[in-house]
Amino acid sequence: MMEPLTASLQRVFGFDTFRTGQEAALTALEQGQDTLAVLPTGAGKTLIYQLYGYRHPGCVLVISPLLSLMNDQVDRMRVTGFRRSAAINSLTSYVERQEILRHLRDYQFLFLSPEMLAQPQMLAQVQQLQLSLLVVDEAHCIVQWGPDFRPEYLLLGAIRTKLRQPLTLMLTATAGKTTRHEIAKQLRTTPEIVSESVNRPNIFLDVENVADEPEKQARLRSLVSQLQQPGVVYFSSKQQATDTALWLHQETGVRAAAYHAGLDSEDRFKIQQQFMAGQLDVICATSAFGMGIDKNNVRYVIHYHLPADLESYAQEIGRAGRDGKPSVAILLYAPGDEQLPLALGQANRPDEETIQRYYAHPQQFSGDDAVIQLLAFYRQHGISQAAVTQMFMRRERERNRALAQMMAYARETHCLRERWLAAFDEQSPEHTVACCSPGNTPLDLDAVGLMRQQSPTGEVKSEREDWVTRLRRLF
Amino acid sequence: MEAADLLQVLDRKQPRRLRVIENLLRGRRTVSTLYWGQRYHLLPLLDANKHLDHGALTAPAQQLAASGLVTLDSEADQLLLTPTGQQRQAGAYYQPQTSADWLNLDLGAARQRLLLAVQVTSQYAHSTSRYYPLATDLVTRRVVRQWFHLEKGPQLAAALLTAMVQSLQQLPVQTAEVMTDLLTGYQHPGLTVSQVASEQQQTAWEIQLRQRDGITQIARDARQADHPLHGLLHPLWRSPVTRSAQATLYAVEQGGSLEQVAAQRHVKANTVKEHLLEAAILSPVATFPYDRLLPQRVRADFAAALNADIDSWQFAQLPEDLRTRYDFFYFRLYAIWRGRGMMDDGATHS
Repeated sequence: MMEPLTASLQRVFGFDTFRTGQEAALTALEQGQDTLAVLPTGAGKTLIYQLYGYRHPGCVLVISPLLSLMNDQVDRMRVTGFRRSAAINSLTSYVERQEILRHLRDYQFLFLSPEMLAQPQMLAQVQQLQLSLLVVDEAHCIVQWGPDFRPEYLLLGAIRTKLRQPLTLMLTATAGKTTRHEIAKQLRTTPEIVSESVNRPNIFLDVENVADEPEKQARLRSLVSQLQQPGVVYFSSKQQATDTALWLHQETGVRAAAYHAGLDSEDRFKIQQQFMAGQLDVICATSAFGMGIDKNNVRYVIHYHLPADLESYAQEIGRAGRDGKPSVAILLYAPGDEQLPLALGQANRPDEETIQRYYAHPQQFSGDDAVIQLLAFYRQHGISQAAVTQMFMRRERERNRALAQMMAYARETHCLRERWLAAFDEQSPEHTVACCSPGNTPLDLDAVGLMRQQSPTGEVKSEREDWVTRLRRLF
Repeated sequence: MEAADLLQVLDRKQPRRLRVIENLLRGRRTVSTLYWGQRYHLLPLLDANKHLDHGALTAPAQQLAASGLVTLDSEADQLLLTPTGQQRQAGAYYQPQTSADWLNLDLGAARQRLLLAVQVTSQYAHSTSRYYPLATDLVTRRVVRQWFHLEKGPQLAAALLTAMVQSLQQLPVQTAEVMTDLLTGYQHPGLTVSQVASEQQQTAWEIQLRQRDGITQIARDARQADHPLHGLLHPLWRSPVTRSAQATLYAVEQGGSLEQVAAQRHVKANTVKEHLLEAAILSPVATFPYDRLLPQRVRADFAAALNADIDSWQFAQLPEDLRTRYDFFYFRLYAIWRGRGMMDDGATHS
């Protein structure tokens, strides 16, 4: 007889009660049910597989999408006491990979990228393991990224079959009906669905219309100098994130830093830790920032560029107000902003003619081109020209539909929350002034209770101690 | 690397190729890169920026040209300082103190080991065991863990502090400041290079040069057996000559022709020559067997055909009979020998 879930929770983490969704997911898994857990950011999804791994012999295999964050995940596992954890992805050095492979059986938690798992040698090794649980983290990426970005995601269903259909946990923070259906279909399972409302009542929603880029910048500066800190500003471009961090610091004195996938691991580590330690007021980030940032008191999330869909948007604003206190999510919209996500979506999509020419003479194309690599992938996996053409057409329709939904949110005039939740097939609570201010209603920071009280921290600069004193303090 | 940094590695008289500088920074160890790196006196920068993108120096070069600080040849590859450029170069810019040792130290590994060792010791000194360790490679993690288990004790933090203060005091104050800012430890995430750069109003590259100085100075002092970082940093001193080139050199020194060595080492004859040229460029002059590989008569033959301007020499322009007698290897080896201050009479010349 196994000990009750709550006893394990107490033993491993020292908590008395589960957060919503955790217990339901664990109970389903304990009953041998594949489970799709749609739980908001900050709900403690990691705990579900940590605790399951603790209670069952064998290895928990976690498929994780973000290469740069996988090592952070492993570090976090080690810090919480799960020392037998390792990650292998394309960034792992040859020596390190060999070392991990030699001890593969000793790991309790193994993190792999889909690309790594798709390699036949790796798959063969993993087939030898006794898997207690297969986890597909950020499962919405199957739908968002699969077809035109990381096609290996589409192999996960076949891989799961080759692994003899292990018990599977799919995790995501945001997935409407269509996405849930697609995830289940790709992974060839009919999971028990555990979902919590995506609504975050303590996050005030705001859309602001601006005329053009200069006005948008001016508005950003004014918001950043008035809002309670800390906050996150999201961009679609690394360069713009970097430039704006510098500019905001110069203009307003706030302590700002940029965070994106182009930073090396040391810089990423330092920026994250500075932010956690309260040494930064604003992070100017790309979507690389966030998954796995445990900071509860983020007061605002501003989107400088229009996200490609409401699911990404929900995921990113979810980083605000995890402590349950009032927070705000602001979307700055200038006419034509939809062009950027449209162009980014097109960039990786081959047109019909390219597909046709490629299938006719594959050897005539250079493998350097990302689009050609994508086509080569499908061709090598025996997918016909007609099927590929159709898949990309369907994909484009899906993207356009998602962007239209995002646009409808930006243009909403009545209730943003209602619009947002409807996309996830949820009913919204009755609209009040404390709920949101759509583009036609100005944002009143005082009323929302998010106006900054004290002077900006940058203004009072204390005398810096000499290096010997600072060094001494370290030790 | 920004324009201001590129300016520092250029010369008023010697045109320098952008491609060579880029390959040098990226650690591309071809004989040509090493040879020209030596001619430019830039070898200490070998491998100094592994992640530099291909072509990343083009924009800074064009910026320098547009400001009239350099002239660029028609292929936008050779750069030469203008008089204004030379004046600007003499302005305030960090002059590294320890670069003579950079080639002999695995600086990348030393940096990772030092940063992690400081973090681990700092957290230990504050009795914390739950913290995020800096992301380093597996070897660094393992070596630092072993080191820590051997060294940990009530004295470690104080000993490490004393040792680091002693090392950094030998460097300019601003370098000590920079080194301290970049460290990670208890309640101190540390600053990134670009944060330090903007705080100190210097370029990121200058901050990196300062960090190289700091690490090298600490590694120098850690050669003492009683230094707390001895076990961690001492093994990172090494010859810049690759292992395989060392093996080839050793086989040649044992006697035997180049062909015999090639057969014995299972490599092509041309590889043997490349190994020897690499060793000639990267080892101290006195330790390389020039007298055997470049006998007096060979030197005399080349001396008779070549002028004093080594950079202008071209193999293709040697007299026909010389080119049939000696292949490129001997020509290049002679240039290395002369370039390192050796005169045909065997005397040194600086």
